[in-house]
Amino acid sequence: MSRNMKIAIVDDEIHIRSLLEQTLEDLEGEPDILIAANGAEGLALIEREQPQLVFLDVMMPLMNGYEVCAAVRKNPGLSGTTIVMLTAKGQESDRVRGLEEGAHRFITKPFDPDEILDLAREILGL
Amino acid sequence: MIKAEHYLKSAWVRRQFELMLPLLSSGISAALQLGGKRLVEFNEAGHDLSEGAPGVRAFPLTLEGEQVGTLLLRLPAQNETAQVEAWGNLLAHSLQGMLEAEHGRRSVARETLESYREMALLQRAVTDLNHSLKPAAVVAALLKEFDGRNNTADYGAVFMRAADNDDCDLAVSFGENAGKDFARLKDSRLFADISVRETGDIVNDLSSSPLWAGDVANFQALLWLPLVADGERLGLLVLASRHIEGFSAADLKRAQTLSSVAATALRNAQLYAAEQKMFQSFVRVIATAIDAKSPYTAGHCRRVPEITLMIAEAAHQANSGPFVDFTLDEDERNAMEIAAMLHDCGKVVTPEWVVDKATKLDCIANRIHLVALRFEVLRRDALIARYRALAEGEKPESAETVYQERLRQLDDDFSFLEKCNTGTEFISSEHLARIESIAQQRWNDTRGENHPLLTENEVYNLAIQRGTLNPEERIIIEYHAVHTINMLSQIAFPRSLRNVTEYAAGHHERMDGKGYPRGLKGDQLSIPARMVAIADIFEALTAPDRPYRKPGKLSWAIDIMHRMKLDNHIDGDLFDLFLSEKVYLAYASKHLAANQIDEVDASRYLAGRGS
Repeated sequence: MSRNMKIAIVDDEIHIRSLLEQTLEDLEGEPDILIAANGAEGLALIEREQPQLVFLDVMMPLMNGYEVCAAVRKNPGLSGTTIVMLTAKGQESDRVRGLEEGAHRFITKPFDPDEILDLAREILGL
Repeated sequence: MIKAEHYLKSAWVRRQFELMLPLLSSGISAALQLGGKRLVEFNEAGHDLSEGAPGVRAFPLTLEGEQVGTLLLRLPAQNETAQVEAWGNLLAHSLQGMLEAEHGRRSVARETLESYREMALLQRAVTDLNHSLKPAAVVAALLKEFDGRNNTADYGAVFMRAADNDDCDLAVSFGENAGKDFARLKDSRLFADISVRETGDIVNDLSSSPLWAGDVANFQALLWLPLVADGERLGLLVLASRHIEGFSAADLKRAQTLSSVAATALRNAQLYAAEQKMFQSFVRVIATAIDAKSPYTAGHCRRVPEITLMIAEAAHQANSGPFVDFTLDEDERNAMEIAAMLHDCGKVVTPEWVVDKATKLDCIANRIHLVALRFEVLRRDALIARYRALAEGEKPESAETVYQERLRQLDDDFSFLEKCNTGTEFISSEHLARIESIAQQRWNDTRGENHPLLTENEVYNLAIQRGTLNPEERIIIEYHAVHTINMLSQIAFPRSLRNVTEYAAGHHERMDGKGYPRGLKGDQLSIPARMVAIADIFEALTAPDRPYRKPGKLSWAIDIMHRMKLDNHIDGDLFDLFLSEKVYLAYASKHLAANQIDEVDASRYLAGRGS
């Protein structure tokens, strides 16, 4: 796999960021893990770093996950970026909106670390 | 394993160096090595910054007594050693503090992730393992969790404990030749030991166990867990590996989580199965009671479900035609069987003298014999009249002629009444007139009282146009369908059986709406209800012993049913299916006497179908 494999985590909750980061550190090939704490920061990060994979929270200040998702999908330079949305349990209706905005996959919080790893491996071809 | 390289962010360390190094002499080189990775290096002059290189001072960083990294400083000059040593200690101390804080945070996070993992597993397990209420499906779902990708077990099995003793029987298994290997395991001394233990465990090197005699060549490590619910051991989960050290504590923990859920699900499934069995035996008790009530209909409630399910199965198998969408799952099969078994349950309250009324004059006793006696009286009256005529000087020839004529007429009348009494023939208005004229003959009883030959009630019953039941009795009989509804609506059926009453109560309804008790039309009747109706009719027609006739031949039964189809009495599509799929023949060869089974020309009835 290419050296600069990048995964971005965009979530306003520090514990989710931290837990996701720690989970993803177990991935083979040591991808760079990039962190952003809100939607606007996240979009800037994604546009700058062009990660292959983004874990994107739905409910965030400044710019919510749908808006970030829509902006990423409008950017042809980011066509290689897969977006996995993080939704709260019981908010399954979020999925419809997420799909409409171009999210590829969904993970429910609290997430299953093994599911996160399997998903990342599948998307990154590890 | 500590992955210290992830503990500190290189950007943060770089900033730390940038802030600190100017405090030292200029030209100092510094690097941080963490977990075998060079995280940061400040080395403009390109010196050798490896540990032990000339002029390089190394400060070790440790976690839990283990060195995980090194801070390396290289001094440009020799005269500031003491000061650099002091600053180096300070920097190392702050990095050490950061590492320890991060280590603490990470161990908490790891615990959290572990609980996330377990929560996710539980969530999935609760859904998957409680999906079915069948014990076999529950244990199959449990075992599936250990079979395949991301699993350490090469073999797996669930043994189920017998209800009445301690025997364990292999229920399901996976892995190459697993059935044979687990059967062998079951005979081992080790199995005898683990199968009675209260808790699960791992034996990671079977050859080290004194109870293991290499019983199964492929098994090198074993993990087992009793399935316990409510303090009762229901079974045993066994996983095996081809490798020694095949299982870890994490495997056991995961298995425990899954097994606890599975055990509860299994117990619920077993309780449910027991309840179902009890309900089914109740249903059988009722069916047996109805069948036992009348010797003539013995076995009816047992045979109708069989025919019903045979028809339903044929409809389920149909790949085209009107029943292409009809499907039969286990719940539905169960509902139909119960409905068909209980379709006549209302007959429990129908008086037997109506159910068993074999002839029109039946009322506990068949009154035709009373009538026969009166005819005998009239015959003797005729004999007396003959002798009296002779005594009074009549010519013998003429007295004899009158006498013989009278006898012939009496015999003729009586055999006519006898025939009417069987209910096999339609009573036309001519028939009725003759019955009434016979009734008007008179006879003297032993007290010399004069009576009509037939009582009003006898005439009324003999005048029944079809069959043997008069309108009042017919209502009583038909009322059994109402009783069936009333009785069944009092049963609190579970969801899967919610249609039983409708299926059972519609068996006397007709497609044209002329049936009873509700007079529902074809489209108001479910397909299963129409199937029960056909099964009921077919069974009644071919039953070995009905009060009103001899066992019917197959061709006769089919012919009558065909007329019922033409009359829009029974569902024509179902009748066609009944014929084309030879359901009648399959049933006949199983249940009818050889002399009842004759040739049925099905094509004759099926011709012109769909037109």
